[in-house]
Amino acid sequence: MSTKLTKALEFANYRVTLNNQRSALLAKVDSLLSYSINGGSFTIDLHLITFCKQLIDEGMKETVMLDIYKNPIKIDLESFYEEIRSRYFEVTNEYYVEYEKLRKARKTHKILDLNENGE
Amino acid sequence: MKTVNNDRGVLMFAHNNTEIDYFRLAVVNALLVQANMGIKNITVVTDPHSLAQGEKTLGKRLIKKAINNIVVIEKDKQFKRQNLRLYKDTSHTTKTLPFYNANRCDAYDISPYEETIIIDVDYLILSDTLNHCWGHNNEFMMNWKYQDIMYERKDPTLARLNDMGITMYWATVVYFRKTPYAESFFNCVKHVRNNPQFYKDLYKWQGTLYRNDYSFSIAAHMMSGFVDKELPQLPTTLYKSFDTDDIHSAVDKNTVILYLEKPRSPGDFILTKWSNVDLHIMNKWAINRISEEMLDYVTKTTTATKTRKRKTKKATSTR
Repeated sequence: MSTKLTKALEFANYRVTLNNQRSALLAKVDSLLSYSINGGSFTIDLHLITFCKQLIDEGMKETVMLDIYKNPIKIDLESFYEEIRSRYFEVTNEYYVEYEKLRKARKTHKILDLNENGE
Repeated sequence: MKTVNNDRGVLMFAHNNTEIDYFRLAVVNALLVQANMGIKNITVVTDPHSLAQGEKTLGKRLIKKAINNIVVIEKDKQFKRQNLRLYKDTSHTTKTLPFYNANRCDAYDISPYEETIIIDVDYLILSDTLNHCWGHNNEFMMNWKYQDIMYERKDPTLARLNDMGITMYWATVVYFRKTPYAESFFNCVKHVRNNPQFYKDLYKWQGTLYRNDYSFSIAAHMMSGFVDKELPQLPTTLYKSFDTDDIHSAVDKNTVILYLEKPRSPGDFILTKWSNVDLHIMNKWAINRISEEMLDYVTKTTTATKTRKRKTKKATSTR
């Protein structure tokens, strides 16, 4: 096999590994952005955070929200908002750090934090 | 201070065959449950032979540390002889071995907990995500949706019991509360287990192997008023690697590096690092190969946690 082709195949392998690793990272983010309270489960996203803030600004203390199962869950807005907000920033900051690390990795073993011998 | 809730616990089933040490996997996973979920109530259902093998290779002390409730039952020998499954240790090695899974339908009667999460011994707990289930409004949950961690790989045959059949639910992780509904659900699963030929003809699952995924899917269909996908899913995604994949190494108690088989090039792999998300690893040999490493990580963690707690207690009592 020519050197050019070997290099191309190596790069293809690197791309597949990188794409898969990005998806793995996203899986972790998705899992950490799930939050359960009072028997219901919520996905923390910008929509939920903004909606809660809006209700708090309107002076509401408690509300009923539909969770991911469309079940009505009674929520204490202040504590709920604090929790989802801090979780969101914690998770996205960690995601940013790991994503940047991944973006800068130019070799397959670097994507996985291994040395050149794969150890 | 955090209070210990004895009404919540994890349940696993571990019956060895001639090649695979399921009990060892259960011990590793029990320690992972303790380290990552903070749950001490762990019940493992096993048989005398598997337990004896575990005591010989791991020692009674480690087993006691990992599992606080062991339920020993006798295997149904006829079922064991008949239920044969093709196991793979990557595409390079395949073996037909007995697969003993007859008693998962008895989980409701066996579980000493008010709320139980049943997990496969090969569903490695690398995070605390399953803690989201406790106290949930849904009294029974399991997943039909799953995600292969080799994202390019798609297998449509795993979506249904047959091409035109009902949706397949995965009995890999099941959450239930002791309620009349859950009891009826398990009675339904038992009925499928006791009459496999009838249900096989009715629901037309493929092959001769009895799988809990089939019996739980049928029960889910029946107990939802014969409506597809009506049983609620767990609040977590079920991530899977398959028996054609392998494990490179365990990095710590939350991270493993895996070899994933390329979909268009069998026997050829890419590497992936899987961290802080629970994962079903179907290559049992692969988990056994890294079990020593994993045991090292989890036993160190539990010792470190104990030392820290002892120090904190000492510090607060002398204040």
